[in-house]
Amino acid sequence: MGRSTNSSSSSIDSSNHPSLSCASSLQTKKDLSTDLRLGLNISTSSEIDNFSNNSREQSSDWPPLKPLLRSTLAEKGSNRQRTSYFVKVYMEGVPIGRKLDLFAHNDYDGLVRTLGQMFRTTILCPDIDGVLSDNDHVLTYEDKEGDWMMVGDVPWEMFLTTVKRLKITRADKC
Amino acid sequence: MAYSFPEEVLEHVFSFIHSDKDRNAVSLVCKSWYEIERWCRRRIFVGNCYAVSPRIVIRRFPEVRSVSLKGKPHFADFNLVPEGWGGYVYPWISAMAEAYPWLEELRLKRMVVTDEALELISRSFKNFSALVLSSCEGFTTDGLAAIAANCRNLKELDLRECDVDDRSGNWLSHFPESCTSLVSLSFSCLEGEVSFSALERLVSRCTNLRALRLNHSVPLDKLPNLLRRAPQLVDLGMGAYTAELRPELYSRLGNAFAGCKGLKSLSGFWDVVPSYLPATYSVCAGITFLNLSYATIQSPDLIKLIRQCRNLQRLWVLDYIEDSGLNALAASCKDLEELRVFPSDPFGQEANVSLTEQGLVSVSEGCPKLQSVLYFCRQMTNAALFTIARNRPNMTRFRLCIIEPRTPDYLTLQPLDAGFGAIVEHCKDLRRLSLSGLLTDLVFEYIGTHAQKLEMLSVAFAGESDLGLHHVLSGCKSLRKLEIRDCPFGDKALFVNASKLETMRSLWMSSCSVSFGACKLLGQKMPRLNVEVIDERAPPDLRPESEPIERLYVYRTIAGPRLDMPGFVWTMGDEKSATEFS
Repeated sequence: MGRSTNSSSSSIDSSNHPSLSCASSLQTKKDLSTDLRLGLNISTSSEIDNFSNNSREQSSDWPPLKPLLRSTLAEKGSNRQRTSYFVKVYMEGVPIGRKLDLFAHNDYDGLVRTLGQMFRTTILCPDIDGVLSDNDHVLTYEDKEGDWMMVGDVPWEMFLTTVKRLKITRADKC
Repeated sequence: MAYSFPEEVLEHVFSFIHSDKDRNAVSLVCKSWYEIERWCRRRIFVGNCYAVSPRIVIRRFPEVRSVSLKGKPHFADFNLVPEGWGGYVYPWISAMAEAYPWLEELRLKRMVVTDEALELISRSFKNFSALVLSSCEGFTTDGLAAIAANCRNLKELDLRECDVDDRSGNWLSHFPESCTSLVSLSFSCLEGEVSFSALERLVSRCTNLRALRLNHSVPLDKLPNLLRRAPQLVDLGMGAYTAELRPELYSRLGNAFAGCKGLKSLSGFWDVVPSYLPATYSVCAGITFLNLSYATIQSPDLIKLIRQCRNLQRLWVLDYIEDSGLNALAASCKDLEELRVFPSDPFGQEANVSLTEQGLVSVSEGCPKLQSVLYFCRQMTNAALFTIARNRPNMTRFRLCIIEPRTPDYLTLQPLDAGFGAIVEHCKDLRRLSLSGLLTDLVFEYIGTHAQKLEMLSVAFAGESDLGLHHVLSGCKSLRKLEIRDCPFGDKALFVNASKLETMRSLWMSSCSVSFGACKLLGQKMPRLNVEVIDERAPPDLRPESEPIERLYVYRTIAGPRLDMPGFVWTMGDEKSATEFS
């Protein structure tokens, strides 16, 4: 999904974050003793940086908008590039496809890595790995004309403008 | 009992009882009432398809005619549930194909529906009459073609916000010429074209058609013909509402609308060109639901349209309406019950329109029946929330989304705890609440104390500690669904309130501070809950137990752990983990 993972050990020092410092002073005023000794630590989400102004563009899950409205608005965004582009990925033998945000990746390497994790297999991309090692599957895509091509045959940016869906097939079939 | 009514009498009495709650109560009176009731229950609603199995449902209720099922948790709508999580309908269809040959209606929400499932439906139920798919995915137009072709008495085919693979094959043309039974046809979420001639013929011969929602591939110049063939329409979803300005088209459109004297609901409006809007004015006085979510038109045009709709009860609109438009709404539409305002530029950093908290305050003042609100905005104050709460104690659904997370009251820079506190204190019938803005644990204390009728709570980027979660779980008596993302809530509140989770449908927590160890313990302690750890990074048992997991989904179930989980979902506490743990 392209989100950075949460590292629980870091926390934001509330004294240097303007909005949080009000919050913590409010807290000390109220009576924290309940009949419950929870022994709590105050920790705050370290995800706060993900939603600062510049990086919110990457988020595909905030603000909470349903997919149809979200994609319609993203397309209409004035002077704004689309923030995400989801394509369906099918693996041979698995009837249900999965969706993948291509814009969350910068190059074929990233794409192949993500797919490898999603489908728990090794994917060979001919232009990147010249060597035929113990690979299980290869990656193909359907372009705007409806033709199926090997992924990696055109520069990444061009690929993004023409790809409609992806398919992972067994290497020995190619 | 010394005497009792004969079964037939009881059954006759029960036939007047429709609500699930009442039927459930009836079944608890005594064993013989339980038996009689279960044989005559015709409709069932399963709010979580994994809470029960098809086998269990069929065993208890053998004569069902109408089934509603919900699959994925609500946050799946916002891409928070990874693809492949589950919610497959096929096992249900397969079981019902044998057990319920007289099934008539199927309503599915957030489920994975395949073409095979649709084909099986179309072949298995001779009296099948209604298929409603909301936010479903996994099927193509081939599956729709099977439904169209094989369901002889189809009355309702509704696709709402579904993700459908369009295989050109003209599914609509598969409705046989003999099909005249359609009452509702809705395919606004489909991307591809449909055959216009097939559509026109279908609309012509289905004289009972009351609802027709087209997709944006149907151009405006086809609309007059369709409307003339269906003057009895009550609910119309237009296709693209755009064309070059042609007086002849405009007048045909105007006449066609004028012929539809029963129209109550208008939606669609894609790419709307304002000049064509007055063509709808002749029906506006009767309109009760107006969905302008896709209409990128500016406030002055919106105001003109809304002023025509004096009987409006529900309005969905983009924030282009601005405060000025909401003032006009408050002045014109005194029957308004529901308002949804969506953001036109959700990813922008600054406001692109003049829509503030004032607009919502205005509507809360001017519309005495307002009870349901969904409002996206960029600024809010506690004072505004106080005013809204005092104006509208009849509010039942209140969802506020301040677009930038953790935004404080912009005048005082304080958290919005007090404002939301006022909402829950004054609106005693509040059933649904979504929070946003800067919020401490205090708001949860207010919610736990006052929100006694609250059934569903959505929380994002809020709170400071486990105390917040604890307040909600220990306080809200009627809570059924709790969904949380990006809050510093963790293990302790869950442990202390574990038994509360059995009284709820489900709990979702993502990007919080719940540790893998805690999930394992919870799963072990609570055998009637499925504690699902959803983590795409790697198997959580390869990492320290204290490390937080990505997502937690806990739900009560009588079906045990499910067997269809993908590689990134683990159910805690089933036999395998138990032996590892001991």
